Amino acid sequence: MQPATDQPKPEQARRARWEIAVLLLVGLASGFAVGGFLGGVLGAPLGGWLLNSAEPGAGVIAGVKRGFIILGALGAVAGLIWGARSRFNPQTRRKLKRFYSIKRGYISFLLLLGALGCSLLGELLVNNRALLVSYEGELYCPVSPFARTHTGKEFGFQKDRSGQDYTFEVNYRELKEDFAKQKSGNWVLMPLVPFNEYENDFSEGLVHPAAPDAGMQHYLGTDRTGRDVLARLFYGFRITMIFALVFMLMVYLIGVVVGCLMGYFGGWVDLAGQRAVEVWQNIPFLYMVIIVVAAVSDLPFTLPAWFKILVLLAIMVVFSWTSMTYYMRTAVYREKARDYVAAAQLLGASTPRILFNHLLPNTISTMVTFMPFTVATAIISITALDYLNFGLPKPTPSWGELLQQGVANLHAPWIVLSAFAAMVLVLTLVTFIGEGVREAFDPKKFTTYE
Amino acid sequence: MKTLSKILFKTVFKRTGLFLAVALLALTGCNEKKLKRPADSGTGTQPAAPAGGVDKAFARELAREFAREFARELAKQNITLPAGGEGTTPVNPAPTTSAAVELDSAEEVQDFYDANPKAFVVATPADLPTNLQWENGSELKEFGSPKAKRGGTFHEYMADFPRTMRLVGPDASGSFRSRMLDYNSVYLVMAHPNGDGYFPGLAKQWAYSADRKTVYFRLDPDARYSDGERVRATDYFFSLYFFRSEHIKGPWYNDFFSEEKFPNITLYDEHTLSITYYKAKPDVIERIAGVRPIPEHFYSELDEQFVEDFQFKFEPNTGPYEVRTENIEKGKSITLTRVPNWWADKKKFYRNRFNPEAVKVSVVRDPAKAFELFLKGDLDWHGLGLPEFWYEKLPDNHKLVANGYVHKVQFYNDVPRPTWALRVNSSHSVLRNRDVRVGLNYAMNFDVVIAKVFRGDYVRMNTVADGYGPRSHPTLKARPFSVEKAKEHFAKAGYTRTSADGILMNAGGKRLSFTFTTPYKRLEDVMTVLKEEAKKAGVELEVEIMERTAAWKKISEKNHEIMLGALNVSVEIAPRFWEPYHSDNAYEEPKEKRYDAQGRLREGLKPKPVTNNFCMLADKDIDNLIEKYRVSEDLDELTGQAKRLMEMIHAHGSFIPGWVRPWYRAGHWRWVQWPEGYNVKESREPYEFHVHWIDSNIKAKTLQDMAAGRKSGAATIQVFDQYKTD
Repeated sequence: MQPATDQPKPEQARRARWEIAVLLLVGLASGFAVGGFLGGVLGAPLGGWLLNSAEPGAGVIAGVKRGFIILGALGAVAGLIWGARSRFNPQTRRKLKRFYSIKRGYISFLLLLGALGCSLLGELLVNNRALLVSYEGELYCPVSPFARTHTGKEFGFQKDRSGQDYTFEVNYRELKEDFAKQKSGNWVLMPLVPFNEYENDFSEGLVHPAAPDAGMQHYLGTDRTGRDVLARLFYGFRITMIFALVFMLMVYLIGVVVGCLMGYFGGWVDLAGQRAVEVWQNIPFLYMVIIVVAAVSDLPFTLPAWFKILVLLAIMVVFSWTSMTYYMRTAVYREKARDYVAAAQLLGASTPRILFNHLLPNTISTMVTFMPFTVATAIISITALDYLNFGLPKPTPSWGELLQQGVANLHAPWIVLSAFAAMVLVLTLVTFIGEGVREAFDPKKFTTYE
Repeated sequence: MKTLSKILFKTVFKRTGLFLAVALLALTGCNEKKLKRPADSGTGTQPAAPAGGVDKAFARELAREFAREFARELAKQNITLPAGGEGTTPVNPAPTTSAAVELDSAEEVQDFYDANPKAFVVATPADLPTNLQWENGSELKEFGSPKAKRGGTFHEYMADFPRTMRLVGPDASGSFRSRMLDYNSVYLVMAHPNGDGYFPGLAKQWAYSADRKTVYFRLDPDARYSDGERVRATDYFFSLYFFRSEHIKGPWYNDFFSEEKFPNITLYDEHTLSITYYKAKPDVIERIAGVRPIPEHFYSELDEQFVEDFQFKFEPNTGPYEVRTENIEKGKSITLTRVPNWWADKKKFYRNRFNPEAVKVSVVRDPAKAFELFLKGDLDWHGLGLPEFWYEKLPDNHKLVANGYVHKVQFYNDVPRPTWALRVNSSHSVLRNRDVRVGLNYAMNFDVVIAKVFRGDYVRMNTVADGYGPRSHPTLKARPFSVEKAKEHFAKAGYTRTSADGILMNAGGKRLSFTFTTPYKRLEDVMTVLKEEAKKAGVELEVEIMERTAAWKKISEKNHEIMLGALNVSVEIAPRFWEPYHSDNAYEEPKEKRYDAQGRLREGLKPKPVTNNFCMLADKDIDNLIEKYRVSEDLDELTGQAKRLMEMIHAHGSFIPGWVRPWYRAGHWRWVQWPEGYNVKESREPYEFHVHWIDSNIKAKTLQDMAAGRKSGAATIQVFDQYKTD
């Protein structure tokens, strides 16, 4: 129970290193998320107005990107500062320590965090652009987002291997081989997996789908069009996780707000809200998403791919926010009956203050226990939709699409086996985290009833 | 007795639940209709002597053999049975005196005829010209095999349940129509598929008029529809009423059979008629034979409800297969059954064809599942055109092939090919510019597609009309992939700047980006490869693979930017240009309003939906030449015009030729048997001309071998190249 903030702060112990680490992490993540979201929302109209472009929507996209990066960075810094200055209350400390003691959940959490971190740095690990190129004494870094595309002519090749004029982006793998043949002191440093998730590898001697071959650097083989399976798995992981996390945040945002309001105000708000939620909950999620996506794809004019992804996200959120309202409503009802809320009301605290300062912090623990399972559901949903061709537009890499291809090509088992193994692994990790969190935040250890 | 009733009493009241359950089971379980008797299950597995019963297929075969023996004996002894006997009437070459024509149509139909008295003429045999040279196609060779056996059920699949059973009107041009009409129906005369010439169909004999615009026909009195009704001469009158009616909502038919094109039909008696075409084209009889008789007794007259009323009604047909209402399982399958006592059953050119007793077409939406069903034996054949099927999913060392259960065949045919190509919508704001279109031609790398995706099995198409023999262009070639030339043309169109990701932009910052639509999911790989290669030339293609019917709807409404697809091309003497390349089929506005004083296309015109002009090609010079080509009657003049048109369309750049497949490949189970040379020259699919038959004995034996794990024979992988062109 959090004491009213008017009382002087009690003597506080020094924070442990892990506390600081977790606080910084939470601050960074939430700062980046909030800043990025605000930046994107603000950047859309600003970008469309400021950036003059002949393309419809191009200014908006550029504005969103820039707003996301700028405000996201600012938010991340602000979050770090906040994290460095704040501290957990004793209950939360105990819960976190308990989570740490559940090794299975903790290790899974670290692994998943590591995987997410890796995937955010994806371009450095899995890419067809070289990390570094040394040509005639000059060092280039093609993988950097600020680098421009280098044509083959800049590296001394007038024509590419098929005889075309080399005015397009150079193929760095071939460049590496050609430099090695030239023996002129130029070198190319490629990432660990030198393939893009979109390109087709039509090198000599490869018949697609090709089996995993370390020599050709296709560690998990290729799919039917010659795209590297590991690259598609990796970027599919990134897209799926980001999709799932954003989905979870939005679902929680709406669900928590609605549930909180229903619980706090009670009476007519509660009655009407509950009926609305019940009706909405009975609409079958998967069918509705399929119908709306099919309708959107059937329009006479074409929509850009990013718009389709946003529409997909919006539809998924719209049909799944109801789950959190029940828990929030119950939790708020329970807390509302406690003495401290009555005390705050007597002291004249306004409704927003009671909601944000008193009620929400105490009900967060309920929410947190459901987060991992919502993420798991989101991963499964988006994979299922992709499998049915109603999800992310092609050729976006995704696990569902890989599964579909794998099932249609069972004579190339590496496709379906890699996608399946990846899904099982990630979902297992997420489930272990969820169980760990649930056990750690379980109130039973702290309450005794006679 | 008392104890019995006591027990019953106890059971009923104490174990009510159990009693009810047993009762329910007993009642519902005995639903006879749901139980499938083994013989009706359609898989045709007849285990060699079911306990105590008779092998039905064998019995049927035996009965047929007896019937044939009887027929031969009777024919030898010149005994003619009364009407109703199967093919036992002796062949009578001299025309019998037929009854006079009796018009007995509904009022509205009669009014239609009376409104055009010169177009619908009822005459007498005395009005026939006297010096007609009658032909009957008897010099042509049959193409079925005398070894063919009748019987069995052929199992096929379709990707989607047909939206309608109508043969005209909205949604009627689906793939199921070919099973009811194109590959099934018998027309007045039929083109011989192994060369030139025509063989008899509904007409026993035919003759040309002196000016070669009219053809006279002597109808076969045996001709019947699938519901048993006679094919009457007045049905040909009705046919034109039908095709010209607005109620069928088929503007293509209204135009194709318009009064301008078919100015006259004259009935001389019940079995003699003549049809006139407006031009003395070299293949006039084929166009005239396209006027198929429409059963007047089925329709009587048309009204606005035609489209809805006949949505799922099978129109009686002159062909051997019909669809009975009880054989339609909505959404699941349609079974075509052989018309009992089909009128052309024993006639030359038909007697060794159309052999299976029934054709069951099931709906299988997932292509991967369809192939698995084929491997299981639930489907009798599967196309192996795509390299993934021929090389990977059913390689030569696959268990089924190695044991001889499944045969693989590659057949080189000689026909105009489906036009697999990119069609660029030239009404689009950016694609109106010719330089952009020509640049796109150079930006599409079909060589890589053919070499890598199709494993080099296919060949590049070169013009809009490959495969027409002397009427095709001898030297014109498609533009090869060239980054330099593509960028050169794009620069001429103003796309000189390059964006950060390598895509060209014009001065205003507009990227060279287009949506690339296709209805065919199986061409996903082709689309991906073209997209990646086009990036090299600075073009961005956003791939859009839509569901089949949705995509075609979008394309037919001209909402696409670039599309990849094909239209099947019929085997004709010369290519068609008006439908796909004339501005009549591009814009709604009348011709005078399309072009300005300098002959340039105006802006803001309204695209015309539901036509075949997917390129939205509208060029004044091309229009004029097409119009001349359509009316030309001289084969040499036609040939020169066709070549010139191909060159002009090539220069326009909105048609980017794709690939051509000089053969077709199929895999089928060994119980599907074929004639010696496998098939006919002009077949585009193995089952088009129905020369195959099913051997139930082989089927039974193969299934036994499979169960026992034995080989059925040597691995059979055949290549038939007797008709290969080079």
